[in-house]
Amino acid sequence: MNTTKISDSIVALRWPIIIIVTICTLFFGYHLKSLKIDADILSSLPDTDPNALLLKIISKNFGGNNIGVVILETDNIYQTKVLEDIRSITDTLSVIDGISSVSSLTNIINIKGSEYGIEIGRLVDENNFPNSPEAFELLRNNVMSNAMYKGSIVSEDETSSLIIFNLEDGANVNDIAENVISNVSNLKLSENIYYTGSPMLVTSISDLMKRDFVLLLPIAFLVIGFILFLSFRTINGVILPLLTAVISIVWSLGIMGLMGYSMSMISNNIPIILLAIGSAYAIHVVNRINIISKTENQDVVSKALAYVLIPVILAAITTMIGFVSFVFGAYLQMIVDFGIFTSLGTLFACLLSLFFVPAIMEVFKSKKEKDISRAERPSFLSNNVLKPLNTILFKYPKLILSIWLVLIVISIFGVFSIKRSVNIQEYFKEGNPTRQAEKIMVDKFGGTKPVFVYFEGDMQDPEVLKKMIETSEYMEQSPDIYTSMSIAHLISELNFAITGNRKVPDDAEQIQQLWFLLDGNEIMSRFVNKDLTEGIIITKFKSPDNDSKKEFAKYMNAFIESNSTENCKIQITGMPFVDITMDQSLINSQIGSISIAIIFMIFIVGLILRSFLSGIYASIPIIATIIILFGVMGITGISLNIATVLVASVALGIGIDYSIHIISHYNHSIKSNKCLKEAITEAITVSGSAIIINVVAVSVGFMVLMFSVMVPLQYFGILIALSMISSGLGALTLLPVILILLNKNK
Amino acid sequence: MLKNLLKPFVFIAFTILSISHLNAQDANTVLQNVDKIMSAPKDKQGTVQIIVTDKSGDETVREAELKQKGMDKKLYRYTKPENKAGIATLSLPDDKMWLYMPSFGKAVKISLLSKSQAFTGTDFSYEDMSGIPYSSRYTPEFLKSLDPKAYLLELTPKDKSMEYSKIIMTVDKANNYPMVMEFYYKGDEIRKVATYKYLKSGKYWYAQEVTMKDIKKESSTKIVMLDLKFDQGISDDIFTVENLKQ
Repeated sequence: MNTTKISDSIVALRWPIIIIVTICTLFFGYHLKSLKIDADILSSLPDTDPNALLLKIISKNFGGNNIGVVILETDNIYQTKVLEDIRSITDTLSVIDGISSVSSLTNIINIKGSEYGIEIGRLVDENNFPNSPEAFELLRNNVMSNAMYKGSIVSEDETSSLIIFNLEDGANVNDIAENVISNVSNLKLSENIYYTGSPMLVTSISDLMKRDFVLLLPIAFLVIGFILFLSFRTINGVILPLLTAVISIVWSLGIMGLMGYSMSMISNNIPIILLAIGSAYAIHVVNRINIISKTENQDVVSKALAYVLIPVILAAITTMIGFVSFVFGAYLQMIVDFGIFTSLGTLFACLLSLFFVPAIMEVFKSKKEKDISRAERPSFLSNNVLKPLNTILFKYPKLILSIWLVLIVISIFGVFSIKRSVNIQEYFKEGNPTRQAEKIMVDKFGGTKPVFVYFEGDMQDPEVLKKMIETSEYMEQSPDIYTSMSIAHLISELNFAITGNRKVPDDAEQIQQLWFLLDGNEIMSRFVNKDLTEGIIITKFKSPDNDSKKEFAKYMNAFIESNSTENCKIQITGMPFVDITMDQSLINSQIGSISIAIIFMIFIVGLILRSFLSGIYASIPIIATIIILFGVMGITGISLNIATVLVASVALGIGIDYSIHIISHYNHSIKSNKCLKEAITEAITVSGSAIIINVVAVSVGFMVLMFSVMVPLQYFGILIALSMISSGLGALTLLPVILILLNKNK
Repeated sequence: MLKNLLKPFVFIAFTILSISHLNAQDANTVLQNVDKIMSAPKDKQGTVQIIVTDKSGDETVREAELKQKGMDKKLYRYTKPENKAGIATLSLPDDKMWLYMPSFGKAVKISLLSKSQAFTGTDFSYEDMSGIPYSSRYTPEFLKSLDPKAYLLELTPKDKSMEYSKIIMTVDKANNYPMVMEFYYKGDEIRKVATYKYLKSGKYWYAQEVTMKDIKKESSTKIVMLDLKFDQGISDDIFTVENLKQ
């Protein structure tokens, strides 16, 4: 590749480049407005997983994903004032556009047998609330004797009650959730109010994402700008890397908007990641131009570019491999999208650094040269850090290698204690109302993770309904299932009201006639399809623990296998089942993406540097870094989750750049017949300062994520920063000592 | 002198008072006339077709034989669909209701503690179907009608436990039958709209077709009366629990 020719062309075409970049930025910037936030994890589940697919079908057909919950918590529910407040919430919710129905203690239907027949009415007469201890005792007994209310509408400890609302199909979830919160807050109730259920959760996560975005991006921007200023002390040195990052962010997000993709919990980080890595390439270009301008006056930009072209392209390719590696083996679609658009952003940052930055620097070169002449002074980094480092490397190579080996061995022990977590609750900080709401649901209402047993068969066939009851009874023996509900339960309750037998009638005709009492009732669409050929048992799973989920899956699958027949096909799904697959995929995806990334990187680095051995050397510090990263996660108890699973590949992609810079410089020097010591000293002195600036800028940029309101992202930031420091140190210490020890005779 | 001066004011005040009184009376009379039209026949019998159309446009059709005496004795015996044939409901005065399901071989009394509940899977509530005169349940007031051939009444419930917060009723001036009724739910939200198609048979006007649209649920129910006969001298014995089982 003739880099000089390319560099000259870039400089010659500076104005067309600046114009094209401006037009593209305006175009993609315009499309940013079509970018939407989608925090719904369900939509990100893959159709290739049968559990996820069935869960999606059930959520769509039986409306399970459209249920929101308001939790009212107080000292005791059975008080007239509390009932009045529940009624106020019920009334407030029922007039919100997009909410199709609301059910609560004050309006729930009650069908019960009485001495002369059946009574159909409300559990509580909303115009005549109980107000005596006897009346409340009667209500308490009614609630406790019916599984439809106990633990479903009122908690067993009598401190909490749920107001459950259904959203209309296609309703604007965010608008409704906002209205629910603002209208209920306006009631100024004295009880504690919490919100949960898919629409509220999704909106709450979207809000957190927006807050993160608005708060963290400017902080990262300022922090990286400050570090760049400290490093370069020139306006170009600050503005150009930041501008490169900002343009690449605008382009990537603009394309996302243009193509109809939404921001997910994961892709919300794309801007910060691109800010950190996008500025890095421009740093190399600016740094090299600065260095060359110190010794030369002619064609500074194109000479610098000729030198930096290959390392920057290589660095970008390896980083892109890191991101693209998510595409293979990731379970969640949002991780795949994240991989695609972050690598696209990396490509943009690389192209902008190589085309746009030199073009701007060439246009403003007269000013630049003045800055440089003023900035000519001994480098703090090379005098105080890199020179002493060189001395230490040659004096104690074995000691340095041993320290690394000890760190690696300790980390390997840590790797075995890594925990995995797919619990969405961990997204929220302790004390966050959403997390508190989840806790109340788990402690008092049997959890939030829905489980559905799906039946295919004639929903009016006594055998099918009996099998449903049998399945429910079997399922409720699991310690993690509190209660379950299905059409079979309703039919058997009605039969009880009429005949006194709480069971599904043996006679199909009786079932059909009991159906008459249920016809048109909105609740029916939650349990059976319109054609009455499909039905579900709805329940909730309590434990967030993965082993409990696996045990439950095994327990239920054994039952289903021996009970599913041609006339009554049974399947089971739900979040615990999806969690099991997601959990397994965390490991598979981790191993898969790291392996793919390492193999490709060794291959690409080897190919471009024309030395397979260089590829292997370059990967040593980053492999050490990844072992240390997992070791730290194991030792500190930071779990592997859908956010931290990305760290290793991102670290791999960015971190290998440091080794590439050292190894390519070293090779260059060796080819120029320099001795080992000269080659290493020069590589560390010249590339070292750029690496240190880079490590500090990128780490600090990611450390900004520590201020995220979402817990996994805080860890993501810390872990990436740790990996950057580790891979930077690896490139500056581990890689040189390996080269020293292997080539000491040269 | 002062007396003379005051005279016009007294006259105006008196006129305003009497007009408003007249107005209130008029609204009451109109509503009572509506009730009269609805309850005019001594008895009626015929086939009732109930067509429920859900949000996605799917229809379910039910048919029942109706026998009614006065406004508060009604017997529906379902004939379609086949699996519901034989089911019968008997409504008696004082909100008493019996349900007969042939496969259980017995009639059960249903006590409806809540009348706002849907009437057997339709968009009508038990309250809509109750037949209790509107004038006994609501206080009417005239609203300005844009249609010169119709009165526009706003009905406010006398009892706060009523399902609706108000009803806006459009009444045909010439024949005193309701043309459209808009039902408002708590918080002044329009919830349902009923459209009536009245026909005259002999001396009686009757609602040959009523369509109730539930705006929130986006569903509708059409009740069509077929082969309706009036004043057949239906015996009270028809409206007994024993008769339900036949």
